Amino acid sequence: MKIRELSGLCPVLCLSAFVLQAQAQVQETDQIGQLQKQLKQTQERFERQQREMKEEFERVIRTQQAQIDSLTKQITHAPAPAATGASPIQPVPATAVTPEEVKELSGKVDQVVEAQKKIRPGEFNPSIGLVGETVFSYRTRGPGQTGADRAGGFDVHQRSLELNLAASVDPFAKAYVVVNAAADSATGEATLGVEEAAFQTTSLPGNLELKAGRFFGEFGRLGYIHDHELPFVNRPLALDQYLGGESQSDGLQLNWLLPIPHFVSLTLGVGDHFGDPKNNPGDRRAFTELNFWGRLSTYLELTPDWQIEAGISGLWNPKTEDRGGAQGQPDGGTLTERERRVAGLDLKVSYVPLRDNQFRSLTWGTELLCSDNRYLFDPNGSLAPSHPSPGLDGDEFSGRIGSFGVYSYVTYKWSRQWSGGFLFDWVQNAQDHHDETFAYSPYLTLALSHWNQVRLQYTHTGHNPVSGLRSDDAIYLQWAWIIGSHSHGWQQR
Amino acid sequence: MAGPVEAARIRVVATLTDVADLTRNVGGDLVEVQSLATGIEDTHGVPMKPGFIPLLNRADLLVLVGFGCEHAFLPALLEASKNPRIQYGKPAYVDCSRGISPLEVPRSTDHSEGDVHPYGNPHYLLDPVLAKVAVQNICNALVALAPEHQVEFLRHRDDYLARLDAKIIGWQEAMKPLQGAQFVSYHEHWPYFAARFGMKYSGTIELKPGIDPTPRHIEQMIAAMKAEHVPIVVREPQFPEKVPSLIAKQTGATLVKLPIMPGGVPHTETYLDMMDYIVRALVGAVPK
Repeated sequence: MKIRELSGLCPVLCLSAFVLQAQAQVQETDQIGQLQKQLKQTQERFERQQREMKEEFERVIRTQQAQIDSLTKQITHAPAPAATGASPIQPVPATAVTPEEVKELSGKVDQVVEAQKKIRPGEFNPSIGLVGETVFSYRTRGPGQTGADRAGGFDVHQRSLELNLAASVDPFAKAYVVVNAAADSATGEATLGVEEAAFQTTSLPGNLELKAGRFFGEFGRLGYIHDHELPFVNRPLALDQYLGGESQSDGLQLNWLLPIPHFVSLTLGVGDHFGDPKNNPGDRRAFTELNFWGRLSTYLELTPDWQIEAGISGLWNPKTEDRGGAQGQPDGGTLTERERRVAGLDLKVSYVPLRDNQFRSLTWGTELLCSDNRYLFDPNGSLAPSHPSPGLDGDEFSGRIGSFGVYSYVTYKWSRQWSGGFLFDWVQNAQDHHDETFAYSPYLTLALSHWNQVRLQYTHTGHNPVSGLRSDDAIYLQWAWIIGSHSHGWQQR
Repeated sequence: MAGPVEAARIRVVATLTDVADLTRNVGGDLVEVQSLATGIEDTHGVPMKPGFIPLLNRADLLVLVGFGCEHAFLPALLEASKNPRIQYGKPAYVDCSRGISPLEVPRSTDHSEGDVHPYGNPHYLLDPVLAKVAVQNICNALVALAPEHQVEFLRHRDDYLARLDAKIIGWQEAMKPLQGAQFVSYHEHWPYFAARFGMKYSGTIELKPGIDPTPRHIEQMIAAMKAEHVPIVVREPQFPEKVPSLIAKQTGATLVKLPIMPGGVPHTETYLDMMDYIVRALVGAVPK
């Protein structure tokens, strides 16, 4: 019975189970629908809140803009507030703000934001500038006949690609680096060199300033000027002859501004070399093998438009060591430099009209250099590197050779873009004052802008018979450009 | 020989004659002000004379226009001055542009835009209302340097601002006929002035700041001026007269020579005199 009853209940149970399962599915579907409904409601609520917040923000911004504008108007129409004890500013009644006023204010705010943006990304980075200089030239003779370091005929010389970096180190000092890639005269390949890398104090007491590292030491007027900043294409012959080009040194330089109402500046320096060629220190460098230099300069204002700047300089290397080695002489002997002494006198007269000096100016610069080096004379050439057994053989003796060199130039600027001038060079060979060279160079400069300059120069170079060299003529076209940061320091003024 | 009072004066070096004059008015007898510029120079082209170095070396206060106006000469002079008190960021380095919203802040400082000023146009002192901010900056610096003279400095400031306010009312009244009048100038000296007095600045003769105009630019400017009936060409005396004169002749506009700082033309030795001159010259340039 029970089995029969149970067997009769089975279909009922199965049906019930099916109904229950269907009900559960319906309930689940209802829940999903409810959830979807809730989600939709939440979305709508969120969007409504977002819309309300946006409207509120816009209302606040409009109100604040109106207040700012009113205050701006009040400030611009009222005396400036007192530094202390100023009367409190009275509340400003709300005024109607036109869309034009809001636009104007937005423009002002944008400009301030724009100004701030410019500073932030570069904070703490050094200022960076790049200078490029290419010299196209034609010379009538080659280096074998002229002693020049570039090929005769047509020549293109990427003379420099100069990277300048400068920044403050801390509140007490700044530093700068000049890295130069110059094309090798023989191979044309660029060689990278550190021209300057120096640290300079900014807050020493007693009007002192200390510079340390590699830098162009202060001697004369143009010795420490980079090639692309010269008023003409090539460095004057006297500077090449007696300083060895740019006055580069690894050392220390102290400058003192005399504490008097008149401008007088004194510079003293010490370094391992000065210009080129460099000393060979060997195993150990003695104190006397260092180079010592100094410069005293002053200034006189003749009228507000006319000025004179004058300076005297001195360089002393008490004991030069293998600087350039034993130099062969035409008579078969050699000369070896043992002591280096150079003195200089420089003068610059400028007409810089206050009113339109960007359009007109006149500069006359002159520098006289005197060399009085001591040499080891070797009449029979036993010290020549080409000698089978180079060395002292008893015929050597010591003596001095005095020589002079001078350059003088005049540059006249007649518009913001155009200037022209004339350079005269005359120099005696430091090792043989009978060997004389002179040159004259008219030049014309077109400064398309402060950062883009083209210069055309003709140079005639002549030698006397003692030199064994031949005269030649050259045309140069120099193109110099600057990108990035570029500011003229005090020395480059 | 300096007496005790003179010896105790605050030694101020001002870069340009406008800030020098404002400093004299606030400082009175308590300050000895020397300006690097005489007034006839271009504001960006003051020659770097070695004679400036001893002045800067002994200065108690350096007052400058700011916004990079002196970028061509001041950094090198400051470096050579060996005076730590007046270096950038020090309290005695008084930048009068502090608190002023610059106009014409460039979106790019690329040199394709010429010799641009990264912080905006620095010629705000041609707006006499903004000169009041400069006066306040100078006063603040003097008070900070010599608090014992605060009362005198505040009195001088208030006296000067009262005179300046009275002048501003007069200038605004006088300039009413020039509301909306268009003009061009050689260099971009005048946006603040134009905004203050309701004039419309229609461009510069320079192609870009520091870059001379090209023939094409001059032609375009003449055409645009004719089309817009621009009645005034302003020539700052630091720039050559030839091109502004040619443009004025070709367009029928009136050529007006205006100083950009006190002393730029005769009888403009003070800031108030200079602004008087500028307003008179412009009002006189417009046909009645």
